Amino acid sequence: MPGSPSSGIQVRGLSVRYGARVALQDVTMDIESRQITALIGPSGCGKSTFLRCLNRMNDTIPNARARGTVHIDGTDVYAPGTDVVKLRMKVGMVFQRPNPFPQSIFDNVAFGPRVLATHRGGSLADVVETSLRSADLWAEVKDSLRQDALGLSLGQQQRLCIARVVAVAPDVILMDEPCSALDPIATLRIEELMRRLTEKYTIVIVTHNMQQAARVSDRTGFFWLNEARAGILAEFGATEQIFTSPRDRRTEDYITGRFG
Amino acid sequence: MPREKFEHDLHRLMDEVLELGAMAERAIAESVQTLKNQDIAHARGIMEADRHINEKRYAIENEALTLIATQQPMAGDLRTLAAILEIASELERMADYAKGIANIAVMIGAEGLIKPLVDVPRMADKACDMLHRALEAFIRQDVAAARAIPKEDVEVDRLYEQIYRELVTYIMADPKAIEQATKLTWVAHNLERVADRVGNICERIVFSITGHGEELDTPPAFPRS
Repeated sequence: MPGSPSSGIQVRGLSVRYGARVALQDVTMDIESRQITALIGPSGCGKSTFLRCLNRMNDTIPNARARGTVHIDGTDVYAPGTDVVKLRMKVGMVFQRPNPFPQSIFDNVAFGPRVLATHRGGSLADVVETSLRSADLWAEVKDSLRQDALGLSLGQQQRLCIARVVAVAPDVILMDEPCSALDPIATLRIEELMRRLTEKYTIVIVTHNMQQAARVSDRTGFFWLNEARAGILAEFGATEQIFTSPRDRRTEDYITGRFG
Repeated sequence: MPREKFEHDLHRLMDEVLELGAMAERAIAESVQTLKNQDIAHARGIMEADRHINEKRYAIENEALTLIATQQPMAGDLRTLAAILEIASELERMADYAKGIANIAVMIGAEGLIKPLVDVPRMADKACDMLHRALEAFIRQDVAAARAIPKEDVEVDRLYEQIYRELVTYIMADPKAIEQATKLTWVAHNLERVADRVGNICERIVFSITGHGEELDTPPAFPRS
């Protein structure tokens, strides 16, 4: 039942339109707390749209309309009185390309706590250190916190972005193809980091890399397009089941590379 | 068509499993013939040729592992490759049983058989027929056939029991028959194991098609407790 505390994310009958086009149709999904849920499927099938509904990032797109309900740890995300800023603090996001601010490493991580004043009661330096440690970056940058973040490698920049999200103490971290710009070693580091982050956070990741979904996630949702070219959730289950014995023919054909 | 190369390589690998199956089947049938006809030279040839079967098994294993590493198969494709690895290993072990039977033919040599071999060739025929149809089911992805074939194992078990009891009566009648009767019991045991391994192959086929493991074993018919 939606609404019980610490029960992850419950999505019921979620549909999204961009103007006249239906991007996502009638998606119902229960995302477990402190697990990694991977969303896979071909381009344009609504995975990122779905992800952006979880912290209402779609509100920033003109003509985007969502219907249905999304409850995160008991809070109705689309309720009229929802404070979207607080929501995005609670549900952080990491994007495809690392997007650090053109500031120092320290200021990047401190940005959220400063703006949102979430560090009251503790020092900003502590929050920055804890966040960088959580993002597995502290050892590499602890002596260069005042240096420009753009001087970091892409893999480090992405971990910095994760530290920046972690700094505002979210419950959920959304990741939209977080490794697509990274080399295999940097990718594996992010994947290991993701596993560690599940001790505290619920992670939802969109990825085109099926091996990554298979390696890193606990549950996998396969998105597909219906006859009207709207995105639907075709199958959702335990990752090992999806990748070894999918129940839906479309999932089987997609993950074995026979279409999509 | 997407994944054309993978499809091609997978089908070629399945053909090679079929070929390995044909080699094992031939080895089993011929080993029993060499015993029946006391053809020692041919029996030695079968023992020698076993290494080709081992080589083929490892070649299949290598190709399957290469496909897994290079093509990252998922779902049904992955299950088929897992089945190929398992089936190739079962076939190689079946050929080892044939080698064992050929070895017994060499050991018995030209000494007269204590009884004409009738049920042993029948057992071999039945086991080979089951094997042949199991591999056809694999190629055709015929889950119904794969489920049905292991049930026929009771027939092989029955023959095994019959041979065993008959050999015991020979031993009781003439203790000098003990040595050869024991060897012939090994032969029957080997053939019984071949049929059991056909059951294992069928289980792998069902899993590769459906994604669900099913126990297709029949209860051991012999020895009964």
